[in-house]
Amino acid sequence: MSEDSSISEETNTPTTSVSQDTSTAETTAITTSAFNIHPETPSSSSSFNTHLAIQSLSSILTTVSPSLLSQDQDPAFYLLHNPDISSQVSSLLRLPDSGAGDNNLCRWFYDTFQSSEPQLQLVVLRFLPVIAGLYLSRVALKKPLAGFEAVLLAIYAHETTSRAGQAVTVNVPDLSYPSIYHESRRPAKDNDAADLNLAVISPSLEPHGTVRSTRRARIVGVALELYYSKISLMPVGSKIDFCEFCKVWSGQEGHELQDDEDNVEFQDNQGNADKESVITEGRIALPWELLQPVSRILGHCLLGPTRDEELIGSASAACRSLYSRSLHDINPHAILATRSLLRLSKMALDPKNNVDHTEIPMSDVISL
Amino acid sequence: MLGSQSSDSIEYEDQTPSREVWANGVCMKTSEVEAKLDEGNIQEAESSLREGLSLNFEEARALLGRLEYQRGNVEAALHVFDGIDLPAAIQRLQPSFSEKQPSRKGRSRGDSQHAVSQHAASLVLEAIYLKAKSLQKLGRLNDAAHECKRVLDAVEKIFHQGIPDVQVDNRLQDTVCQAVELLPELWKQAGCYHEAMSAYRRALLSQWNLGDDNCSRIQKAFAVFLMHSGVEAGPPSLAAQVDGSYVPKHNLEEAILLLMILVRKFYLGKIVWDPSILEHLTFALSLCGQTSVLAKELEEIMPGVFHRVDRWNTLALCYSTVGQNKAALNLLRKSLHKHEQPDDLTALLLAAKICSEDSHLAAEGVGYAQRAISNAQGRNEHLKGVAIRMLGLCSGKQATISPSDFERSRLQSEALKSLDAAMSLEKNNPDLLFELGMLYAEQRNLNTALRYAKRFIDATGGSLLKGWRLLALILSAQHRFSEAEVVIDAALDETAKWEQGPLLRLKAKLKTSQSLPMGAIETYRYLLALVQAQRKSFGPLRSVSQVGGDGVNEYEVWHGLADLYSRLSHWKDMEVCLGKAKELKPYSAEVLYTEGVMLQGRGQAEEAMSAYITALLVDPSFVPCKILIGALLSKRDSNALPVARSILSDALKIEPTSRMAWYYLGIIHRVDGRIADAADCFQAASMLEEFDPIENFSSIL
Repeated sequence: MSEDSSISEETNTPTTSVSQDTSTAETTAITTSAFNIHPETPSSSSSFNTHLAIQSLSSILTTVSPSLLSQDQDPAFYLLHNPDISSQVSSLLRLPDSGAGDNNLCRWFYDTFQSSEPQLQLVVLRFLPVIAGLYLSRVALKKPLAGFEAVLLAIYAHETTSRAGQAVTVNVPDLSYPSIYHESRRPAKDNDAADLNLAVISPSLEPHGTVRSTRRARIVGVALELYYSKISLMPVGSKIDFCEFCKVWSGQEGHELQDDEDNVEFQDNQGNADKESVITEGRIALPWELLQPVSRILGHCLLGPTRDEELIGSASAACRSLYSRSLHDINPHAILATRSLLRLSKMALDPKNNVDHTEIPMSDVISL
Repeated sequence: MLGSQSSDSIEYEDQTPSREVWANGVCMKTSEVEAKLDEGNIQEAESSLREGLSLNFEEARALLGRLEYQRGNVEAALHVFDGIDLPAAIQRLQPSFSEKQPSRKGRSRGDSQHAVSQHAASLVLEAIYLKAKSLQKLGRLNDAAHECKRVLDAVEKIFHQGIPDVQVDNRLQDTVCQAVELLPELWKQAGCYHEAMSAYRRALLSQWNLGDDNCSRIQKAFAVFLMHSGVEAGPPSLAAQVDGSYVPKHNLEEAILLLMILVRKFYLGKIVWDPSILEHLTFALSLCGQTSVLAKELEEIMPGVFHRVDRWNTLALCYSTVGQNKAALNLLRKSLHKHEQPDDLTALLLAAKICSEDSHLAAEGVGYAQRAISNAQGRNEHLKGVAIRMLGLCSGKQATISPSDFERSRLQSEALKSLDAAMSLEKNNPDLLFELGMLYAEQRNLNTALRYAKRFIDATGGSLLKGWRLLALILSAQHRFSEAEVVIDAALDETAKWEQGPLLRLKAKLKTSQSLPMGAIETYRYLLALVQAQRKSFGPLRSVSQVGGDGVNEYEVWHGLADLYSRLSHWKDMEVCLGKAKELKPYSAEVLYTEGVMLQGRGQAEEAMSAYITALLVDPSFVPCKILIGALLSKRDSNALPVARSILSDALKIEPTSRMAWYYLGIIHRVDGRIADAADCFQAASMLEEFDPIENFSSIL
């Protein structure tokens, strides 16, 4: 199954890249309409695909009935946001043998993602936290994982083709040269000098037909990069799943920052022995290629524009666990990233920093 | 926000009598008007204001709206504002301003007229602004954003060339600034992220005459939004791109640029210090691995902004991230000085870790680790295992350069004890398995080492190359070459081709050890092809930022080949390979050593000797050279024997498991007639013969 994935991806290059374009266009459509209006179905073939996907899902789940098809609502949108479906899919995924190559649900994920239907791909990405979380935690347990691997490879291959394998780089600005936001006495800089501060935030991608164990973290990391790029479309439940797995991956109870001792309100209350055993099970190696997308996603959950109490709570718990883990690894890079996230999330909750400057001064004397 | 508003209004109700309105030099208590408003009688309230203060309809409405807004009756305020025909009012304002705009000099003449029309404008714009605020409080965010946008559109229509500094009424300017700040916030709250992006850019790229605080708040909010919204902003419009100035390509770049500008504004004294700016910048720059840029920013911050120890410690983290461990350690030494913060656990652990990687610093590291252990208490108790582990690593490293055998074995057993203790505290940390495996391997306790190496591979799911390499080396030390080759082949299956270099090199060496030169040459040939392919497909980018320890190292290929030919005594081929290796690394003890071997093989003993001595000048602790110098000297007359003996003892001090050193030392003892000593040495050599790995264990790290 995993062999198939790479081959079909490589031969289908042009079609997939086209579908990528349309996907970004639709992304815009959805963000503007927020969550109240569902986007128009782009074409009949896509709605056909969607119906096909729902039909095959209904044979796996008990709550999805084909009667959905007659509903007025956009079915792909329904799949993405329906809590019953997601809870049932999640619990099926969490069964001990769910990652096997012949697992129906994994096959459904694989086929659905391969349909190249942006809306349906979002549905697959919605469950990426659970898939990746279980997958990485189960590697050391020697459980069957071919099904999970096929899904992850399909997502990796999609990202590889849409990026044409290219690295993502960032040009760190140099303030001694003028920019659109500031002036400087020095003349504009030559293009040659511009490469000096070039930083690679995601190295170039090679096609992978199977998951080689040394590339495992990278493959999952790239899948998470794709997840991050669509994160504004993901339901809160999916992000909370992700935060929960961060805690499992870290293998650590969350500990407070050293520098503020007075703040105890965040301490985990449920730190019982039962949880401890769960945590020691799923601990994984956290190289930067994995930790970087993880940090970006957590950054969005903690500091992004949608302020959801539950999400922020579980994201800061995840962040504390990862910070604690970075101390255990004495990994300076991870310490810097997770510590600044933790400090920022604290500052964001401080009422002192939440003064509304757009409010007019309230005085008793109103003058014209 | 709504909550605080309502509590405010309760407060106001308690002190209602004190509220009053001023207009046209007349003052009026509002209690009467408010009573009328409470009855829902807007018209009457309006007319009493108009009469009392001699106002026109719009002015009265605007005042009423503001009054209702302040009282917290946003719905009523909205109702009042709806009564004003705002588009018409804006229309009326336009010509009067655009005509006067060019005549900046004739200010005194048109001053009063200006004041009047600016006043009217300010009134209208404030009314629209308050309408937007009211809508926001009612949760009608989209409508609010549209109203707020109308304020800005109106301002742009009224002031074609941007807002002039001198001529503007303060109140008008305040309203404009607030509207500029509010608009992106509204779009954000409404979930319209793309509109929010363009509103932010409009705020920052047009001329609004914003104050420093105002502008900085918007810049910070935009940077945060760019970093964390998860929506790609796309490049700024072409109109904003001034020729030759830097235009950020995507979100992260734009956010970093804005944050850097904010830090600079602080240096220049334009804004007060906001610690969150630095944290945002820290996060952004560590995401792209540019912590050296962050270090530069931190160094530029004036003293007194934050505690120097915090600065040193954060700088140490930055430098250590980019591999500048020396600089990091120097900073940590300062911050851990007894007059600073000697008990900071993170700093102690980082210092110990840096020291554990260098045998000459290991003793210092032991000290840090011990301090860390005694400080890992209370809420930091969970770090005790880490501190003990660092103690073990530092002791193990210290043992490698210890001057006496006694000291060495003491340190080694201490290292083992610590790592075992750490293991019981950090059960789920696979790194410890690897470190124990390494330690046992270096002590040639190969069976135990083998067990740990296997457990490490299981625990990490084979995801780390160093586990495979350790296992193969241990097997090779046990002379189980074919099994080692199976391990290497398995590892090759789990590796993408660019990371296969070190494995293939091991494989070639395994073939060499098994006296399969053709297989070895085949492997080296494949490695060279890989080097070529790597050069082609990655270009300069790869070599600058990514190559690290992962890539195929061309130098090592040529050197390995030279070594292989030297075993076969193919001196000509060896010379060619050595020349290639030398081109890549001209001053390497290893190359000079191999060159010496070649010269010796060709019978040029004097030249060989000088090559060895040069190699020792490059690296004074390069053991193979010491051994061969000792061997050469032992063949000379008896005057040279004491020198040979001392240089071999020296070699054994650095590497007590060197079989050849023991062997040549035995020969010297025999020549000198100390037969018993000679026998001991030969015995040591013969015992060690079984345990030599094909490559030094420390090459894995």
